Amino acid sequence: MSSDVAGSPLAPVVPDEPRSDGTTPATPRTSQAPPRRRGPAAFWAGLKRFVRTEKLGAVSLTLITIFVVLAVFAPLLAPYDPLLQHRRNITEAPSGTFWLGTDDLGRDVLSRLVYGARASMVVSVVTTVVSLVLGTAIGVVSGFLGKRWDLVIQRLMDAIQSVPPLILLLFLAVVLTPSMTSTIVALTIVITPSFNRVARGETLRIREETYIEAARSTGSSALRTMVRHVLPNMAAPMMTMASLLFAGVIIAESALSFLGIGTPPPTPSWGGMLSSGARYVELAPWLILAPGIVLSIAVFSFNLLGDALRDFFDPRLQR
Amino acid sequence: MIRYFFGRLVYGVVVLALVTVFVFIAITFIPSDAVDVMLADSGATEEQAEELRAELGLDQPVWQQLGTFIANAARGDFGRSFFTGESVVDLFLARIPVTLQLGALALVIGTLIGLALGIIAALRRGTAIDGAVRVTAVAFLSVPNFVLGLLLLTALGLWFAWSPPFVYRGPTEDFGSWAQHMLIPAIALGTASMAGITRMTRSSLLENLGSQYIRTVRAKGAGERLVLFKHAMRNSVIAVLTLIGVDLATVLGGTVILEAMFSLPGTGQLVYQAVLDRDYPVVIACTIFYAALFIFTMIIIDLLYAFIDPRIRAAREAGR
Repeated sequence: MSSDVAGSPLAPVVPDEPRSDGTTPATPRTSQAPPRRRGPAAFWAGLKRFVRTEKLGAVSLTLITIFVVLAVFAPLLAPYDPLLQHRRNITEAPSGTFWLGTDDLGRDVLSRLVYGARASMVVSVVTTVVSLVLGTAIGVVSGFLGKRWDLVIQRLMDAIQSVPPLILLLFLAVVLTPSMTSTIVALTIVITPSFNRVARGETLRIREETYIEAARSTGSSALRTMVRHVLPNMAAPMMTMASLLFAGVIIAESALSFLGIGTPPPTPSWGGMLSSGARYVELAPWLILAPGIVLSIAVFSFNLLGDALRDFFDPRLQR
Repeated sequence: MIRYFFGRLVYGVVVLALVTVFVFIAITFIPSDAVDVMLADSGATEEQAEELRAELGLDQPVWQQLGTFIANAARGDFGRSFFTGESVVDLFLARIPVTLQLGALALVIGTLIGLALGIIAALRRGTAIDGAVRVTAVAFLSVPNFVLGLLLLTALGLWFAWSPPFVYRGPTEDFGSWAQHMLIPAIALGTASMAGITRMTRSSLLENLGSQYIRTVRAKGAGERLVLFKHAMRNSVIAVLTLIGVDLATVLGGTVILEAMFSLPGTGQLVYQAVLDRDYPVVIACTIFYAALFIFTMIIIDLLYAFIDPRIRAAREAGR
């Protein structure tokens, strides 16, 4: 889950600097360079460049879009109510009426998968965003203040990271009452230190740069320096890390549901479908095949996106 | 080097102490009183419940509970199960061999196959073999270990009518039965590591093979085998070792699900059952034991770095 290795060897990136894709630089680096675009325009320009240069990244973005659409429009896309029990069609094999078959209570597997995407995406998006913000804030402040603050904060983070993630999640499951919110809180506690570690490392590097010295000498306050100069310069590694950790959160959420301590039934979740399907495996293998494959594809998309982002932001890799 | 080792050891104990404090702060958030859960169906009076609370020390403030816990822990007593009254240390020690066997087997399988595939892909860079290995690696990196375990269990059950043995027998007692019981969950658990190590070996090896010092070795007239195993691999092993350290946490956690799935009586089963039963002393102690296990294995990995890389050894002997 905490794949620090995957995120660490990220090279520094100057924001908005055009990536050269081999032969000629995209923009001539003269003083007449076009004015820097900011806000949405810069984002769309960056996205376009990303899709063009990273083919696998484009594939992963397409897959992720599909999952997001499934999660958002679940009520419109699911052919049946995911909780409706078709009592005459218990554990029915995939057919024209039930594309992916039905489960032991006669519920439509496809509809449950679509709604399961909702549970998975909600938990993963909220967890990743909250831990990203929290972990970055802790890491930047800790790295920027240094000294005793840094020492104390980092030892606390080490303590959290020294318990294997799933064991920590099991422990937190005893402490918190099972609900989607508890799952998010528990996962946030587990993931935040990983973001902190990358953010702190980046801060320590950026702190020594000349532009920070320049900012400080012109009277920029510590807070302003952090927000205006340190944060934008660590966007690339943080985005890559977020994508890779997102994949980890999807796995963890489904593992918790699989163990019966995550999203409580009857709310459909991929992990829950796997654990209830496991009991009828010889009779109805599609009950575990369908959620197993969909879960793996979801994880795969985010791993792929993380890889593509890393290559995209790495100025050493020029093709 | 010895000084460095003791420094790490002291640091490990400090972190472990912080974990203990964290655990005791966290349990103050427990919503329902543990004793109420225990006595829910027994029809005990409120008086009896109070008595039990006092006996278990639950009527004291948390810092006092923590103090008692640490004082007892120093004497090797980490508490007793609410339900069976057995010592948690005994429970844990009786089950840890199974978990260590499973985890070690998974990492050994993952590392050996990962190294082999990574070397093959790097040497055949750009060919179909390289492509196939890379795609397989990314795909396997994305299949959660419990999904793979479930799929293997299903496939073997459907096609070969195989199911894991009901009773666990140790490797010395009945090796055949043990191997049958361990191999499939170990493969499920080790596959993600295998995929990660394949990727790491390939990229690190390619980087090293393209470097100046390899050109020098080749210029001396060294054979390809010598170039690969004596020079390039030695530098790549460090990167792979780091990855094994990261995987260790995932593997230790993964044993919980796979032990339950394959009915292996390890510590994962112990902690999972304790979570379901809300057996707080067992959950608390096991969380700390797992942290200890992880911290001290990481120290061993840290020592291995110095063993493999003389530069790291020299740096540490010079005093970090």
